[in-house]
Amino acid sequence: MANNHLTGIGSESKQLATWYFTFAAILFGAQLLFGLVAAIQYVMPGFLFELLDFSVARMLHINALVVWMVFAMFGSVYWLLPDETGIETIGIKIGKLLYWVFVAAIVVVVLVYLFVQVGPADETSIWFIHEGREYIEAPRWADFGIVVVALGFVANLFLTGTAGNRSGIVTVLMADMIAFAGLYLAGMFFTDNISVDQYWWWWVIHLWVEATWEVYVGAIAAYGLITMIGAHRKVVEMWLWIEVAMLFGSGILGIGHHYFWIGTPEYWWEIGALFSALEPLPLVAMFIHVLYDWGKTQGAQDATGVEVSVINNKPAFTWFVLNAFGNFLGAGIWGFFHTLPQVNLYTHGTQFTSAHGHLAFFGAYATILIGMMYIAVQGTNGIKVMKHTKSSLWAVSMICGGVMGMTVALTVAGYVQVLVSRAQMGATWAGYFDGQSGMWFAQAMDWRLVMGAVTFLGFLFLAKDLLSTGKNPVHER
Amino acid sequence: MIEEVVMRQDIALDDFLPIFISSSLVLVFGGFYVGIYTAVKVKLLKKWTMPIAYIFWMLTAYCLYLMGSLMHVGEFTAKALVVAAIGLFLLPHAVYFMQHQVHEENEH
Amino acid sequence: MAKTSVWSDNRFWQRSAGWITGFAAVLLIWLTFDTAGQIAMGTDEDLKNGVTKRVPGPTVINYKITYEMSDKRGHEVPYIGGNDGKGGSLFQEKQKFFGRDDYSEEEAAALLHLGKLGSQTKNCMNCHTLLGNGAYYAPDLTKAWLDPAWQDDGTMQAMTGKSTKEEAMAEFLQHPSTYPTHARMMPDLGITAEEAKGLVAFLKHMSSIDTNGFPRNFGKIRGAVNGK
Repeated sequence: MANNHLTGIGSESKQLATWYFTFAAILFGAQLLFGLVAAIQYVMPGFLFELLDFSVARMLHINALVVWMVFAMFGSVYWLLPDETGIETIGIKIGKLLYWVFVAAIVVVVLVYLFVQVGPADETSIWFIHEGREYIEAPRWADFGIVVVALGFVANLFLTGTAGNRSGIVTVLMADMIAFAGLYLAGMFFTDNISVDQYWWWWVIHLWVEATWEVYVGAIAAYGLITMIGAHRKVVEMWLWIEVAMLFGSGILGIGHHYFWIGTPEYWWEIGALFSALEPLPLVAMFIHVLYDWGKTQGAQDATGVEVSVINNKPAFTWFVLNAFGNFLGAGIWGFFHTLPQVNLYTHGTQFTSAHGHLAFFGAYATILIGMMYIAVQGTNGIKVMKHTKSSLWAVSMICGGVMGMTVALTVAGYVQVLVSRAQMGATWAGYFDGQSGMWFAQAMDWRLVMGAVTFLGFLFLAKDLLSTGKNPVHER
Repeated sequence: MIEEVVMRQDIALDDFLPIFISSSLVLVFGGFYVGIYTAVKVKLLKKWTMPIAYIFWMLTAYCLYLMGSLMHVGEFTAKALVVAAIGLFLLPHAVYFMQHQVHEENEH
Repeated sequence: MAKTSVWSDNRFWQRSAGWITGFAAVLLIWLTFDTAGQIAMGTDEDLKNGVTKRVPGPTVINYKITYEMSDKRGHEVPYIGGNDGKGGSLFQEKQKFFGRDDYSEEEAAALLHLGKLGSQTKNCMNCHTLLGNGAYYAPDLTKAWLDPAWQDDGTMQAMTGKSTKEEAMAEFLQHPSTYPTHARMMPDLGITAEEAKGLVAFLKHMSSIDTNGFPRNFGKIRGAVNGK
């Protein structure tokens, strides 16, 4: 049974979802802006030197990334809960309160990042400025805030899931979100031992982005296929369980590929190599699944003799298909070619990682979350069939083209680093700068900046479209 | 089962590019194999294109072999790569088989 | 209704997903216990008794550290206090650190603690990589202590006007933009003299961690390093 958007109007859960999406989109813009600052600094090192240094710009760039995705993820769950469970989300008042707590905390954290930047080497700085651990820099007070907000969110999800109709999608989300929230605890303590530090740090980062987030995407993709093309729920949910098995089966121990060089024992070479080699398989499988379901549903429609598209939301579906493809491309291909220890020895800590990071975060997560934003626009405006507009097409092509361009540029830069700084000079200070000053590297960084600007323009089109398309008369109501 | 010689040999400078290209092509060809197979099964492509899918799988396997030998992988990693190649071979068959069964049960 | 097969049964797949996830998680937890034991920080006792630890105790700052090829392991490994010629450390040769090579366990641990705190609060990881993780805007710090640029015949001691590498490093950390080496400079992060000492201890300690041969060929081409 396909989900019906139009029943959702007036749902408080859906209203909260739109709040989450709105703030997520703002942070997405901030992410791109600070990314641009950092990209300019690669080209013009004096830019904002000792005002907004690279370290601060990059911290804001990657923190805004993580937080906008978490916001959009929470928002997507609040959006789909009434559709899946058939009831209003339980505890929605607390959910709304926690939203404002979350937003306020983020604003304070960002202001401190921007205006305090660094503190003395003591625990107070860790508590109130930042923890200086890539991706999870948030100061400790905010850590506790995040845990409270996440627990409130998980409680909403569990109460609603158990009281209403607990579909397969909701069941997967319940299990996945509790793991997602729980894993954050692994990144909340301080230790003098940097190997132990990074060991647990990867529990948060890897087990989020290569396990729980991927499963989350599987669940959202399942919801999207049911909602947008009326795919058969039983098929989609069975497939979701298979994906969970494949993703967790390969992803959990795939963490081994982060344990090659941080002081951990050699056996992680074998574990990392084996499970990393398997990690692309579920991504390939997710890709076929979308193709398969689309083909089957359209085929069934065509068989009725009425030639009409089964897709009721063109922009959202475009982003969902880009997700299936982008996940495979960014996480799969760009992940696989530097994952085996033999080659990772030379690529670890180069722009290859950065290339992979850009394409994988975008392909695997940004795409589907933008898709969910379009589903929300469709739902809140009561649109039966939503079509592309000029802006939505410009947004898709400029953002995808921009990110792809940045990825290719960073890959070229990484290749220079591997050859010059790593294979020949062995990662010394001088070797590092020899690599950085190479012509190919420098030009790659120029292109990365250009492509970053293209991405940002695409974002402006996206923002315009999300704000205006709901009232556009081209859609069928 | 520690591979003693995992890192013994340096990768030759000229080998990096072929390694990166072949390991990317593994998944590109793998994607074509799986994509064509599925497209034929859901009748988006004509039946005669099926052998092309298998040719892509062979290319995938060859790229894996090339990548592995240039990297001087040890015995264990070599086995892991063979498992991955076989897994990729079986994947679309298994997916199609299962999806087909569910559709049969639910639509008739 | 057609016959139902186990392959198309949601319950079957749900259970499989549960079992597979559970199995992978249990395996990870088990490996975590093993790894935690192997990467626990060593003690001064270990160093004195010649016990090799993957992460040595903080008093490793009293010793000379080198990074050399081990025929046994097939890659470079850190040697503490000299190479015994059989692929292991000698734990004999000392090296003065800010004029002393007799830091007690407490003193060394306090320095390392300050340094590790500094590495986080000064946000090192958002420009540099540590053990290869972090940002790529500045050089990797994993073996920075052993970098040819800081050694006696390197450029940095002369530039900072110091006669030992720990003093040169500490001076650079306190006034990085006074000693620009490239157009891309390290900003002034308000690092105090004490914090700088802690950070250098942290770097020296990090260089003694057994990273399975990462980075490879470290400082192999010395000619280029010294501009020859």
